[in-house]
Amino acid sequence: MKPGCRQILKEISAYLDGELEIAACATIERHCADCASCAAVVDGLKQTAGLCRQLGTTPLPLPVLERARASVRRLLENSTTGDE
Amino acid sequence: MVTREVDGLSLSPTAGDLHLSEGTDGSSWRAKAALVQSQAVAVLTREAGTGGPGPDAVKAEYATLVRAAADGDRVAMERLLMRAQEVAFRFSLLACGHEADAEDVMQDALLKTYQHVSRIADPDAFRTWLYTTVRNSCLMKRRRRAGEPVRFESIEQGAPAAGGEDAPIDIADRTPGVDQKLIDEWADERLRAALKQLPPAYRIIILLREMEGLPTKEVAAITGYSEANVKTRLRRARLMLRRELTGGEP
Repeated sequence: MKPGCRQILKEISAYLDGELEIAACATIERHCADCASCAAVVDGLKQTAGLCRQLGTTPLPLPVLERARASVRRLLENSTTGDE
Repeated sequence: MVTREVDGLSLSPTAGDLHLSEGTDGSSWRAKAALVQSQAVAVLTREAGTGGPGPDAVKAEYATLVRAAADGDRVAMERLLMRAQEVAFRFSLLACGHEADAEDVMQDALLKTYQHVSRIADPDAFRTWLYTTVRNSCLMKRRRRAGEPVRFESIEQGAPAAGGEDAPIDIADRTPGVDQKLIDEWADERLRAALKQLPPAYRIIILLREMEGLPTKEVAAITGYSEANVKTRLRRARLMLRRELTGGEP
């Protein structure tokens, strides 16, 4: 571990979230340019976040979606009938 | 291989490339990781306003739908109810990890959203309410699972209808739990397996922040943790998840 790695890893999440000042970001980027292991961690976290986000926006499986739509229809039809 | 420990997490200098598998699915996983890497920076900086629709925009969409639905707009109500079910599905499968409960939790979210819309005082608070409600529903399911019958017996009651606040209403189709094959196709098995290895209190932070894109403040409101605690847990959870995705390699 190089000097500064521990501090980089403590700030890495805030860095990825864009919560650090420009100077702090520059420090991390300089460190990563010279430290393959920290650079690998940053890249890995970015990839992991991308995969998570992709899953967060993936539509429901079609059969589940169809059952969800059917449930909405039944609920709204039943409540309309009840209102009459 | 040189490893190191930071906050109890072992880190490896070679693991960050998501070199995950020598197995048959390794290449597709790596390809997927590479494909989405370009999205990651935008994802991670959404709060800084450099990405696509940020959390505030999504929150505003919810509020708009709530207002319209409360005013009798059927299309808005349908969209809101579908969104509630989508949130419940993802949350149940990924945060709670109980595939068999997913559709019950969806039904619960559907009914509670429908009941809540006409009563909500602050539409801007709807999204926080929805995630809190779904989380509580998952927790209830887990408690019931520990010692009571599995099925969610309250599904068929509680919707407002003529003749009373809680008159029975049949919306539930007694379908079996979500098919495992569908889940496997929907969500990468390795990512789901990695998520399951995270302690629940960390998994929920990853789900709310990384997958659902909620801001730290809202995650804190949903989970009951302080914002500082959410940030600390998020950092550790991210490192843990990365470690799990690299096949347990530190």
